[in-house]
Amino acid sequence: MRPRHEGVLAARTGPAAADGHPPSVNALLLVMQRELVTRLSAGYLVSSAAFLLVLVGVIVVPTMLSGPTTYDVGTVGDGNREVLDTAADRANRDAPADERTSFDVTSLGDADAARRAVADGTVDAVLIDGTEVVVRRASGFGGNDLLDLLQQAAGGRQVERLVPAEALPRVQGALDGRALEVTTLSGQDAGQTEGRSIIAYGGILLTYVLILQYGVWTVSGVAEEKSNRVMEILLSTARPWQLFAGKVIGIAALGLLQFSTTLLAAVVAVRVSGAFELPAIPTDFIGTLVVWVLLGFAMYMVVFGAAGALTSRPEDAQSAMAPISVVVMIGFFGSFAVLRNPDGIMGLIGTFVPFWAPFVVPVRAALGALPVWQGVAAAALSLVTIAGLTVLSARVYRGGSLHLGGRLGWRQALRGADA
Amino acid sequence: MLRVDGLVKHYGDVIALDGCTFAVERGRMLGFLGPNGAGKTTSMRVIFRLVDPDAGSVTWDGGPVGVAVRLRFGYMPEQRGLYPKMKVGDQLVWLARMHGMDAAAAAAATERWLDAFDLADRRTDTVEALSHGNQQRVQLIAALIHDPELLVLDEPFNGLDPIGAETMARVLRERAAAGTAVLFSSHQLDVVEDLCEDVAIINDGRIVLSGDVRELKASSNRRVLEVEAGAGSGDLLDGLDGVLSSAFDGHRHRVVVDAAADVRHVLAAADRDGAVQHLSYSTPSLSELFKEVVA
Repeated sequence: MRPRHEGVLAARTGPAAADGHPPSVNALLLVMQRELVTRLSAGYLVSSAAFLLVLVGVIVVPTMLSGPTTYDVGTVGDGNREVLDTAADRANRDAPADERTSFDVTSLGDADAARRAVADGTVDAVLIDGTEVVVRRASGFGGNDLLDLLQQAAGGRQVERLVPAEALPRVQGALDGRALEVTTLSGQDAGQTEGRSIIAYGGILLTYVLILQYGVWTVSGVAEEKSNRVMEILLSTARPWQLFAGKVIGIAALGLLQFSTTLLAAVVAVRVSGAFELPAIPTDFIGTLVVWVLLGFAMYMVVFGAAGALTSRPEDAQSAMAPISVVVMIGFFGSFAVLRNPDGIMGLIGTFVPFWAPFVVPVRAALGALPVWQGVAAAALSLVTIAGLTVLSARVYRGGSLHLGGRLGWRQALRGADA
Repeated sequence: MLRVDGLVKHYGDVIALDGCTFAVERGRMLGFLGPNGAGKTTSMRVIFRLVDPDAGSVTWDGGPVGVAVRLRFGYMPEQRGLYPKMKVGDQLVWLARMHGMDAAAAAAATERWLDAFDLADRRTDTVEALSHGNQQRVQLIAALIHDPELLVLDEPFNGLDPIGAETMARVLRERAAAGTAVLFSSHQLDVVEDLCEDVAIINDGRIVLSGDVRELKASSNRRVLEVEAGAGSGDLLDGLDGVLSSAFDGHRHRVVVDAAADVRHVLAAADRDGAVQHLSYSTPSLSELFKEVVA
């Protein structure tokens, strides 16, 4: 694909004075546009499309392969029919019509015949007298659907036999882990909170992946500009912050575009194929989450840009990224601790440390553990931090830009625009 | 007119600029000379605010040089640099637009300049695919593309072959003739002498000599006497009255004399040694002026 300048933005970035854009906006838009146009190469589009295809395939293909399940089960003796009926009832309780489970039952003479039938694969399992089951091998980590089903069915039958009918619902509730009735002060019901926290985790994971993937682009993009020495010309035509912000926004926009496309494709694929149940999405919470994904992404892109300005060669990008990546990881993994104890001191610290807030705030919000004032204050603090970092990073960018040969310290870059 | 006034810049204990003052007029070319580390590149960077001076000012037509004014300047830094993987045409159009041109004007200017440099057929090649010489040409176009009112070039003749140097000289002359103020640094004093009306010589961060090249030469208190004699026997002229220095290469005497001195006795001495065949009396070359103020 030939990059073309007559792109979307072209019509809006005419002569600085003629079309009303001040030169500053013009420069920023042009830098953004260049990032987008040069990075949206044919190779990038092909690899992105391939990734989407694989993703959709992973979601859709299993559902296409799924359908009614029929197990071949052998029986020896009596009391097996009831177990199998219960098993079928349980399996089909919530299953859609085209995914029903049934048993193809073969009556076998004795235990020896049962072993032979399992061994030669005629049947998947043999039930003996409703109390014993013969399978080829013990299940591994992944479990064995048939064995689990039979165990649960047999267990249910035993409970029914042992417990008086009137006590049966309570006993079954206890066995299912619902012995106590739950009242939450936050007013959220348990299912909703679970949905929120799953989405919160999706969002945090998204922030984490976005930051690390596009952070590499930002660092190496800035470092490349330095190593091919085009910086001096650029800095003679525009202010450092325009170049810096244009570049970072350009890369970030591409990142968000790719991720929203991916996310959309995944959601559509799940909805259309019905691969699995999506948790109900509370819309108020989605807004909070999107805000924090954007805040977190923006904050780290700015920092990575500055890190790029401190390196001279793209090869140095990894080592320049390392300390920042550590901070990102502390935030990401720290948020697991916050999930267990959203009201604790870690949650509070994380909320007010801007670098960790994007990982901590969504979790606390999901669990209803974030007072409104804390959410607002944390967002304001993050915005101030982003603005401050942009000014600071633009300074490092300018200071580091004319410095070649070896890595430059943060202090040195900040001190002199030309040290 | 670009006026650079009293620039001071310190890097720790190192003094890069120490009251540097000079001016470049529209339609004229100023050669910026000085030994390595004298402050040439730093001065140029100050003009484009790549470096903040500790003191002093830069003005264009009497007004401050802000971003909008700088967009009308063209700059070719000593460290040449373009995006290597970007196509030549796209890159020039983009840089022209960074200087505030609209898309159509930028495209037209790119065509015009690529044609002028015989690079029209390389428009869709990436910069890295070009030869070194052609990359230099693209770099020059990048500085010229928006028809700047001031052109600042840091060592533009560095690394150019004779044909490239000739092209560069022709383009600079054309720009100056078209009314552009041209400022360039060089170590090639003969090139500067050949091209520039004005010169500024910087040493240790301050301008030690500046002005119209011809006037500077004429106002020098030295003259150069070159005498080619027959079979001369040696350097007999040193120490004669009015002679400041003298050199003899076995064939030709090169004598620097006081401008006010009567040189007939010097000629007579040379003639006694061997019949004078060729004789010239001239103002000193730029290179001599340079050595005089920088030594």
